[in-house]
Amino acid sequence: MSAADATATPTRRPFTGRRVRFGDVLLQLVAGAAALGATVLVGLIVWKLVDGSRLALSKYGLGFVTHVAWNPVAGHEVYGAGSFLFGTIVTSFFALLIATPVAIGIALFLTELAPRTIRAPVTALVETLAAVPSVLVGLWGILVLGPVLRADVEPWLHSALGWIPLFGPPSSSGASVFTAIVVLAIMILPIVSSISRELFLGVPPELKEGALALGTTRWEMVRGVVLPYSRGGVAAALILGLGRAMGEAIAVTQVIGGGVFIHWNLFSTGDTLGSKIASSYQGASTQLQAASLIYLGLVLLVLSLVANIAAQVIVRRVARKHGVTRGGHA
Amino acid sequence: MPRFGTSIRIASAVAAAAALAVVVAGTAGASTQKRSNATITGAGSTFVAPLVSQWISPVAGAYGIELQYSAIGSGGGVAAITARTVDFGASDAPLTPDQFGACKGCEQIPWALGATAIMYNLPGVKNLLHMDGPTLAKIFMGQIVKWNDPAIAKLNKGVSLPSTAITIAHRSDNSGTTYNLTDYLSSVSPAWSSQLGRGVAVNWPAGVGAKGSSGVAGVVSSTPGAIGYADVAYSVQSHLKYFALENRSGKFTTPGSRGILSAASSDQKPAADNSLSIVNPPKKYDNAYPISTFTYVIVPLQSSKASDLKHFLFWAVTKGQTGQYTAKLRFVPLPKSVLVVAEKAIAKIHS
Repeated sequence: MSAADATATPTRRPFTGRRVRFGDVLLQLVAGAAALGATVLVGLIVWKLVDGSRLALSKYGLGFVTHVAWNPVAGHEVYGAGSFLFGTIVTSFFALLIATPVAIGIALFLTELAPRTIRAPVTALVETLAAVPSVLVGLWGILVLGPVLRADVEPWLHSALGWIPLFGPPSSSGASVFTAIVVLAIMILPIVSSISRELFLGVPPELKEGALALGTTRWEMVRGVVLPYSRGGVAAALILGLGRAMGEAIAVTQVIGGGVFIHWNLFSTGDTLGSKIASSYQGASTQLQAASLIYLGLVLLVLSLVANIAAQVIVRRVARKHGVTRGGHA
Repeated sequence: MPRFGTSIRIASAVAAAAALAVVVAGTAGASTQKRSNATITGAGSTFVAPLVSQWISPVAGAYGIELQYSAIGSGGGVAAITARTVDFGASDAPLTPDQFGACKGCEQIPWALGATAIMYNLPGVKNLLHMDGPTLAKIFMGQIVKWNDPAIAKLNKGVSLPSTAITIAHRSDNSGTTYNLTDYLSSVSPAWSSQLGRGVAVNWPAGVGAKGSSGVAGVVSSTPGAIGYADVAYSVQSHLKYFALENRSGKFTTPGSRGILSAASSDQKPAADNSLSIVNPPKKYDNAYPISTFTYVIVPLQSSKASDLKHFLFWAVTKGQTGQYTAKLRFVPLPKSVLVVAEKAIAKIHS
């Protein structure tokens, strides 16, 4: 609109110039306020978590983090984050382990292998998976995935690999750590695959063509050019997925079954930091319980921060080691 | 990365659109009900939810009050009324002193009387298997793991029980129904009382957690060998079998009106906080079903909707108790002595 004004009345040109400068100031203010707002928000969240968990912090100290206990019954009250921390790490680690090869496989297929005609529709479908609300994924976990895993997959894994403690006796109801892992893997799959796809697309075609011209097979080209070139970015995508898996609460609550114990059998029930907060915060019967649940939130936040920082260090190291500076595309 | 950004933006746009749709639907729903002059919202107990939903249309007919109730669990109900996001909360477990303190000026009023059924899924085995308290406590503690355990077989002579493994389904949220069950188990089993105790959530040594009575009923109906608990209406609706429980007189009783009324007659005098305990009543109440309970509505003494709230609550504890609403759902009308207490408490609400 200001441009139209300016051309209509040339005498106001100096004002237009000033308006541009005013726009710059406005942009700076708005963008600065947004950045400041986000920073302040993080600060406020941390402060509230510390403030809300004060009762539990002063009673249990740092021992809370590893202590395996959770009993909200009056007279028996004792709280600790140990089993939930364990559950969070186990579920997110194995979810990532399952999702990584599949996600990278999808991305490679869509960039290097698939016929052009199906690339667009398959890409769109995979990305639609990211838009499915977690509560629906959880519901599907209860109604479809859980029963299938219980009836077919778990007994088969147990009979084939039962000597590994991870694959113990199958669950009886379909609610298990394993179901939660598969649900989480499905949720992080589209994140990792869509970022990886972008990264693979960003590999300069001349490098790929050069490799092929040297007589490499398609697989050797992928292994020798595409993967090393995008390694740092893919690592970052995986960490993003890990963060998503660690923080997910609702879908996990729906399928994991609960329980305060540490065990290696993936087919038994368990709990994570997020799922415990989601299932127990409403109507906590004592102040100490409410404070302990907020303390769980604090543990989750610190865990996420640690994972994020570790991720950045890894990404930087990988990038430096391979001396790859990616082009403008990625 | 731009494509990834787009997918996030699409996801958040979808979420925003969904939220907007809910808001629009909410206001549209309210505005079509022109004749109602007030909306009263409540949340909490899933136990009492089937009964409250029966009350919605008669309350609208009698007073033009639009009643909205969310069955989010007793724990959620207590949280909601404490935060005053609803006009009343509903809980099966009496409030703890901490919760009374946090709620600031709330009172609890007994407003329905029902029973918790112990449901099971055993294909080919009859309904109303016999069960006693100590055996039930051992099952829920994970000490009895097969259906053909001698302890269960002894109570059911002549019934052939399968060797199916027992899967325990319990509530994962804070639940008044859990309080009812654990209150009973604590009174019949010293081991349960000392190791686990009573509460809206306990440190379950075994089993699978599910959200809400519907979640528990869902696990039980989809898992052969499962055992769970919910109010009788849920087990009837889900076509699940439930136990006949042995009471202190040695009789095996069912969660029907006779058993519940007999139990209710065991505590005629509510405590100062209006709570009543009728779980596992003494021997002389020989027809009593041992896991019967009063369930409570929690209201602020001072409410901006005091007069509508009082109309509704008076209706609920009087007309709302009649057989046409309660019988089908296996609730039982409040005894006179409790009704008097409830009416007195309702009269205290002011604006």
